[in-house]
Amino acid sequence: MAMTIPTKDLSRSSGLDISEQDIIKAMKAIQGYIDITPGDFREIYQAAYSLAVQRLFNSFTATDLMTRSVLLVDQEMELDQAAALLAKKHISGAPVVDHQEKIVGIVSEKDFLKEMGVGTEPSIMQIATHCLENKSRMVGKLHSRTVGDIMTRPPVIGAPEMTIGAISTLFINRKINRLPIVNKNGLTVGIVTRTDLAHSYSAFDGRM
Amino acid sequence: MDYLRKMKGSSQSPPSVNLVEVLWSWIGSFLGIAAVSLIHFKILDQTGLIMIIGSFGASAVLIYGAVRSPLAQPRNLIGGHVLSAIIGVTAFQLFSQQPWLAASLAVSTSIALMHLTKTLHPPGGATALIAVIGGDGVHSLGYLYVLIPTALGATVMLLIALLVNNIPKNRRYPEFWL
Repeated sequence: MAMTIPTKDLSRSSGLDISEQDIIKAMKAIQGYIDITPGDFREIYQAAYSLAVQRLFNSFTATDLMTRSVLLVDQEMELDQAAALLAKKHISGAPVVDHQEKIVGIVSEKDFLKEMGVGTEPSIMQIATHCLENKSRMVGKLHSRTVGDIMTRPPVIGAPEMTIGAISTLFINRKINRLPIVNKNGLTVGIVTRTDLAHSYSAFDGRM
Repeated sequence: MDYLRKMKGSSQSPPSVNLVEVLWSWIGSFLGIAAVSLIHFKILDQTGLIMIIGSFGASAVLIYGAVRSPLAQPRNLIGGHVLSAIIGVTAFQLFSQQPWLAASLAVSTSIALMHLTKTLHPPGGATALIAVIGGDGVHSLGYLYVLIPTALGATVMLLIALLVNNIPKNRRYPEFWL
């Protein structure tokens, strides 16, 4: 199922691992003979807990998670402007739209790095070395080109009713860090980032 | 080997109950068995009817001693006894020439039927067995055995359970009816 990965992570981090000692203490606190062995109770508890987590995962959708104010970048925007804009907003990527505001791609740090010729997942040191060796040429590549030239397309997008479990799976399978949420009319209504997901997990732990 | 390893057990006994629980189990079962045996010995003694069968002792353990148990709930108490009594009488009438077969069919079929009807009540197995091995006094009742002593006795015990088990603050009965 789509939920297996987050469920497993949660089970390790939270109350799922109760011991038989815990159960016996709790049983003692309830007056009366309870005819179940601590081991059986533990089995039921763990199964029920997983189901509860899955239910929460399925009840939580993109609409609950997403950041609603999304910075959209026009595909005609020049790369230096786009870089400045992302830098100013402290974000690492954004959906790219056409003149009708329909999403056509996603541009992120990775696309810039690829364009600069340093590979898609360089370390800071690799970038530094690369800069020192190719000083002007590297940045020169970015001039006079537009976001539309380097963006990743087609964009991986999600619908508002997508569950948190499905989103997690998509993040892992497609190796992406952000998922624009697009409504039926093709307009971007929000964006879910890995940070949003992390926040929702910690919210779950609080609720459980 | 997994088969042998399973025989070692995998969990432990639930904790023991406190003295208050022991006391209320004693009171409930004393009154429950007193009720059916008073009817048995003081009222029905001359009539050839019986009111008490051995399996009620086992029911008392559950409905006064383990009141939260699913096995002790009214559905199981009444349903388990009545269905098992029907099976027991039927088994005896069909196979009275082969008592060993009647006895084993009575118990095994009762368990299966109680499972299927969600009325599993361990004393039901005894009720079915008694219909076969209970002697002439039981055999002569025929299917009346289902109503008296089985259904009536179980109902009296249920009434006492309702009255007694709900007196202590920390006890309640039943968990469910149907």
